[in-house]
Amino acid sequence: MRTLAALGLVALTAAAAAAEDAKLEPPPAQPSAREVAERVEATFRGDASFLDATMIVKSPRLPEPRRVRFQSWDDRRGERSFIRILEPPKDHGAGFLKLPPNLWSWVPRVERTIRIPPSMMMQSWMGSDFTNDDLVRESSVLDDYEHRWLGVDPAYQGARAWVIEYVPRENAPVVWGRIVAWIDPVRLAPLRQEFYDEAGVKLRVMTLADFRAAGGRSYPHRWSMVPLDQPGHETQIEVNEIRFDEKFDDEIFTQRNLTRRE
Amino acid sequence: MAAALAELAASLARASTWRLALRGLGRQPRRSGIVLAAIAIGLGSLVLAMALQYGLVAQMAETAIRAEIGDLQAHAAGWRDTAPLESRLREAPSLAALTGARTLSGYAPRLRGEGLAQSPRASVGVRVLGVDPSREPSVSTLATFVAEGEWLGAPRRILIGAGLARRLRAGVGDKVVIAVQDAAGDLTGEALRVAGVLNAPSRELDESVAILRLDDAQRLFGVSGEISELAFAARDRTGLEAARREISAALGAGARVETWRELEPLLDMMIALFDQMGWVIYAAIFIAMAFGIANVLLMSVLERTREIGVLLAIGMPPARMVAIVVAESAVLVALGVALGLALGFAAVFALRDGVDLSAWSEGMRAFGAPTKLVPVARRGDVWAPLGVAAVTALIASTWPALRAVRTRPAEALRRV
Amino acid sequence: MPLIVRLAWRNIGRNKRRSVLTLAAAVFAVVLVVHMIALTTGMHERMIDDNVRMHAGHLQLTGAGYLEDRTLERFVSWTPRLAAALDATPGVAAAAPRLNGFALLSNGPASQGVALLGIDPAREGGVSTWPARVVRGSFLAGGARQILLGERLAAALRVDIGDQVLAYTVAYTLENAYELFTVSGVLRAPDPRLERSLALIALPDAQALFAYEGRVSEVAMIVQDVARLDATRVAVAAAVAPLGGDALDVNPWPVVLPELAQMLVIDNVQNYSMLGILVVVVAFGILNTILMSVLERQRELGVMLALGLAPRGIFQLVYVESLLLSGIGLALGLALALPAAAIMERNPIPIGGEIREMSEMFGVTPVITWQLSAWNPAIATLLMTTIALGAALYPAIKAASARPVDALRSL
Repeated sequence: MRTLAALGLVALTAAAAAAEDAKLEPPPAQPSAREVAERVEATFRGDASFLDATMIVKSPRLPEPRRVRFQSWDDRRGERSFIRILEPPKDHGAGFLKLPPNLWSWVPRVERTIRIPPSMMMQSWMGSDFTNDDLVRESSVLDDYEHRWLGVDPAYQGARAWVIEYVPRENAPVVWGRIVAWIDPVRLAPLRQEFYDEAGVKLRVMTLADFRAAGGRSYPHRWSMVPLDQPGHETQIEVNEIRFDEKFDDEIFTQRNLTRRE
Repeated sequence: MAAALAELAASLARASTWRLALRGLGRQPRRSGIVLAAIAIGLGSLVLAMALQYGLVAQMAETAIRAEIGDLQAHAAGWRDTAPLESRLREAPSLAALTGARTLSGYAPRLRGEGLAQSPRASVGVRVLGVDPSREPSVSTLATFVAEGEWLGAPRRILIGAGLARRLRAGVGDKVVIAVQDAAGDLTGEALRVAGVLNAPSRELDESVAILRLDDAQRLFGVSGEISELAFAARDRTGLEAARREISAALGAGARVETWRELEPLLDMMIALFDQMGWVIYAAIFIAMAFGIANVLLMSVLERTREIGVLLAIGMPPARMVAIVVAESAVLVALGVALGLALGFAAVFALRDGVDLSAWSEGMRAFGAPTKLVPVARRGDVWAPLGVAAVTALIASTWPALRAVRTRPAEALRRV
Repeated sequence: MPLIVRLAWRNIGRNKRRSVLTLAAAVFAVVLVVHMIALTTGMHERMIDDNVRMHAGHLQLTGAGYLEDRTLERFVSWTPRLAAALDATPGVAAAAPRLNGFALLSNGPASQGVALLGIDPAREGGVSTWPARVVRGSFLAGGARQILLGERLAAALRVDIGDQVLAYTVAYTLENAYELFTVSGVLRAPDPRLERSLALIALPDAQALFAYEGRVSEVAMIVQDVARLDATRVAVAAAVAPLGGDALDVNPWPVVLPELAQMLVIDNVQNYSMLGILVVVVAFGILNTILMSVLERQRELGVMLALGLAPRGIFQLVYVESLLLSGIGLALGLALALPAAAIMERNPIPIGGEIREMSEMFGVTPVITWQLSAWNPAIATLLMTTIALGAALYPAIKAASARPVDALRSL
């Protein structure tokens, strides 16, 4: 699940005040914005998580959205993760192994392993709006940003939502000017994140929905990332299964496992 | 009558050849003036032409060398076979003594690596160049390319070319994240603010180089105190070999010192090619000048067939006659050469601010070729035209003079 | 024939020595100008030719706006119809389709990001020198999934002919795309940086890898006559118009290679400055010769004035003489220079020594070439006329302003 967490966080590490701000109600005295951010991060965090998900990529290049089903084993403590592609059939068995600083890719059809070099890190991962870099980056949302209350949205999708602003610290390696996040006050889960550049132009919107209980928390099972500067593009992730605090065998994070044929 | 002539002949024989030559020239001021002008204009034009040609070549070299390369560079041995960041060296304190000496006028340390420049809208693979903001201007003109904003000063600032700025859609003051794989192999990155946008002289510098402070680059790549290269500016570009030896001695065996010719062989070849083409053009102007000089001298001597005939008839020895004619030419050539060089150098001086090429080359600055043609006169350049003028004048006056003295006096008198 | 012209003609005939010297100066000037222009044109054409044949071609047909962002979004549909239309376009000598992609090539732990070009091996040789740059192995000769690598790239990947490399990229359909290729040859590129980051594969393989069936990034063309580049460009645009032409760009080489175009502009400015200086030197030489002849003929001119010829007539006489001489000089000069230049055009002079090695390394043909264009004699004529008109002015005024008595006394 690290993968998704990483994706989410990178998205976070990405954007200006929404027009809706005007209608916000004043924020509560407690908790602090920082505490909210910490709770939100905890939604995604898990020392060892397993994920089975389907990624749906929409692009003007594609007549039909592309669906990629994958499973991921994310060992946060060991700073390592492993992804296996299940669908489409053409890519079945392909794998990605992240052993920092390297990212390895296994191509079953030709039975080769490739080390993805730094120069390819910003390439799209599996054709999505996420990059290879998004898979491996050790993002630290809490350290890289200052957090600030914007207020309470009385009617975000029919319910109250806290609105918190994430402002990157001056030297943090974050391209965005700021990020505005809508947070479910009950579940303390993120609902929507808007990414702005420093000039205040909204460039990306990530929405999270379909919250279900998993690993003692409420976890969003449907994600959507829309890059606003690329019309017709969208990447969705549908979570089929998520488990937290697993016990992972070291064997999973090896070249041998990566190159295993099923 | 005969006695008077004999006396004239005797006095002519006594007078020095040079005196007679000068008197001859003075008697025909217009003819002398024309010959003088022919030599002066020809020589002056040639000096200007050579200065213009050399000016272009020198400027091409200067633009390229001074933009980034420097006259010499030192790297760790074997640097060509590795990625930029993998071969590093340290600045030797003994180098400082060299700049005090006659060889070097300055040197600057640099760190080179590869990375990604990222903005909210784009990410572009770049060459990362760490420079010492205060020392860099002593070897390169990088600082002069800043078209917007300013040169590096405060920490955590970055300079990018206009092309890269366009691709990232970032301007002065905007944030750019530089992501790199550091020396330990870890992926890392930092946000920096754009201090300035460069109007760079090459496409590469324009589109894919990010320049930051050396200390920022060292921290980013995790190579504190180490550098990739040292760039040197020589006081005299003709003395690069001596400079190379001194730098090598100061840096020790681990370093490899190379001149710009070895670093940029393509530039070296282009300059050699332009220089060769230059000689084709000089040759044409040389010939034209020689032709002009020969023509007027030939005419002026042939015109005097009658006069020479008279002098020979009254007893002037033919050898002395030839000597007088040649001496006349020699005086004219000497004066003409002096005047011509003065004209040529005056023209070079008048054009010292350069001939503006921008009218012919719209949008040329974008690629940094010289926009001005500045003539550069070299001292050595005067010898060839001088020699050609002198030899031409000698032949063009001796030959008709010889012909004139061989003509029998009676026949000479009969001719107009 | 007007009297003045007859008089001038007789004068020319009478003063053979003087006339021959002036004529020689004129002939010589024309020969110089013709050869200088031919050499410059030759050198420039050579540079253009060498450069466009490295890769770019004289004309490039691309999807509209391709040069700005070079993405796979902008494409040309490469159909037999388009190929036939281009081949049939007057002025087009050769056309070669290419798919310009990026890929990661890897062999075990060694990997390198490269520009991966899909080319049509049968057509590429007509446009670029890539086939000739293969130093070992063969140029994608038959067989699917073969790859040509730059020599430095092969070294970096630690592979040689017969070895396999894996190409990994993102296809047009956004899928991760992989293919194993067998190294069929190794080539040298003019630029070491390019040699470390360039690989060539056959177009069908590239189209399969990038999921780009029937499409290419560009069609590079060589034209038959560079002087008619723009006409050919227009013809190509017209030929492709019925095949979706509004979504296509036809770019001439100066747009594709602006650095080269700019360098030639600078060199032209330089050369024309030199030509200007040459003209001044030659004009002055001729002026001197005419002036000398006028001074020499003071008595004769004085007699003519005394006999009642108006100063205007003297002026005209000197002028017509000069024009006649220059005209004959021009004719003789062209007659001498043009055939010589034409012979040189067919027999370029090879450059030797160090420059030769260097130029071969960088893909420049090491020869000095003459090239006669239609402009050449026209420019020579224009310059010679200017010289004749300019150079005779002062001597003619001088001659016309001489007073008859002075003129007679001056002897």
